[in-house]
Amino acid sequence: MIYRLWYFIRETVVSLWRNLSLTLAAILTVGISLSLVGTSILVREGADRATAQFQEGVEFIVFMNADHTPDQDVAIRQVLDTSPAISEYAYIDKMAAYEEFQVLFVDKPELIESVTPDVMPPSYRIVPADPDAANVAELARQFSTQPGVREVATATDAIRQIEDFSTRVSQVLLVAAVVLVVVSAMLILNTVFTAIGARREEIEVMKLVGATNWFVRIPFMLEGMIHGLIGAGLAIPSLFIVEDQVLSFFQESDVVPLFRGFAVPDGFVWDTSLWLLLLGGTVGMLGSAIAVTRYLDV
Amino acid sequence: MIRLESVSKVFKGDVTALRDASAEIQRGEFVFLVGPSGSGKSTFIRLLNREEVADSGRIMVAGKDLGSLSSWRVPYLRRNIGCIFQDYKLLSKKTVSENVAFGLEVIGRPRTVIKRQVPAILELVGLSRKADRTPDELSGGEQQRVSIARAFVNRPLILLADEPTGNLDPATSVGIMRLLDRINRSGTTVVMATHERGVVDTMRRRVIELDRGVIVRDESRGVYD
Repeated sequence: MIYRLWYFIRETVVSLWRNLSLTLAAILTVGISLSLVGTSILVREGADRATAQFQEGVEFIVFMNADHTPDQDVAIRQVLDTSPAISEYAYIDKMAAYEEFQVLFVDKPELIESVTPDVMPPSYRIVPADPDAANVAELARQFSTQPGVREVATATDAIRQIEDFSTRVSQVLLVAAVVLVVVSAMLILNTVFTAIGARREEIEVMKLVGATNWFVRIPFMLEGMIHGLIGAGLAIPSLFIVEDQVLSFFQESDVVPLFRGFAVPDGFVWDTSLWLLLLGGTVGMLGSAIAVTRYLDV
Repeated sequence: MIRLESVSKVFKGDVTALRDASAEIQRGEFVFLVGPSGSGKSTFIRLLNREEVADSGRIMVAGKDLGSLSSWRVPYLRRNIGCIFQDYKLLSKKTVSENVAFGLEVIGRPRTVIKRQVPAILELVGLSRKADRTPDELSGGEQQRVSIARAFVNRPLILLADEPTGNLDPATSVGIMRLLDRINRSGTTVVMATHERGVVDTMRRRVIELDRGVIVRDESRGVYD
């Protein structure tokens, strides 16, 4: 068994080495495309966190006092339920608000420790029928005068701009990444195809003496997978560079205070790295699997 | 050991390679397939190790019905069948002993077995002293001996030989035939396609003659024609 494993490793390494220029091209392409995939994920996550409360058409949020009375709740709900200007709304109670706070500030434990669910203000997230800025401002003004209301926060143009910007950036990156992932799968396919061609005689002998199909295929499958994994390995440092240089640049920006929320939690980059490894390995396996099933008729 | 029942094989363009062929070969027999080029000798051989599949009829090899053998079992069938060819099919970058070892390695034989069996088989074919040479440093006869060593190292039940002396001079051919005869005497069934009269006439073994895909003669202790 160990000998067999050694055989697979040896054959794979020899084949990778023999095909060096194509191997490097495949690995670099995987690396670049996965860097883009990762960057796209990070930008998206950062923007989602920066604008977490204003998602899915929510234009303004009514924060209640932590100690408001049930009567005040009833009064607000009545307005929300009956007003034709309100399309829909969601109620975030103390516990839900606390949980969200925990998620948002997961990397600032001292901040989380300083609050309890008790002090969190419950809130209504409101989707107006007409998202026009003037209309939203008028609605916000009306709600701010209701008893029990602590404050009303509106989604400003800045938030919308961040959302638009990040959506566009991450979409463009993602499209480019998908194209490149397909290109890298094809490059891996070609590399493995070339490797098969270089070993045609050996394969013929292997079949002749009764090597099983999998025994013939495995070194080539491993080769493709290694392309994918090394490529992903190259993409991982780029994620840390994006986090360290790009996201933190936004966070330290004084121009738009909202950008300060533009951060991802500590473990997120590592999680994304694992996904990239998985994606790289899968792309490599897929490319080589197509190559061996198409060109290795055993 | 081998049985063909009304076997036919037609290639694209209506080329009939074998038509209604029936024959039975017992364990330990030595059989020559003779006939001119294109008479179906190679197809006969390729059908036996399942490189080709018959269009009709039934082929039994080592107790297996090749028609109903699923493709994943084919490698296990081939481990019971050694093959040698006119062009040897040796790997030029590997040494003599690596070529022989390769045949065992890729069917997952343990290293200890390989270390024991490779020198023994090289001794049998008379190439012990050239174990570290590469094929292009050997004569044609020596290369064919390496190929026989690789085919026989796993002690197959059957040895299929397609024109094994086709590229060799008569004197060298005699040496190869002696080796095949010796392997046959150890109990291995040998089926050899050839169109060399001298080889067949000297050996006086069973002869199956093919003509345009039809078995026209099957005699024990036969001659070429």
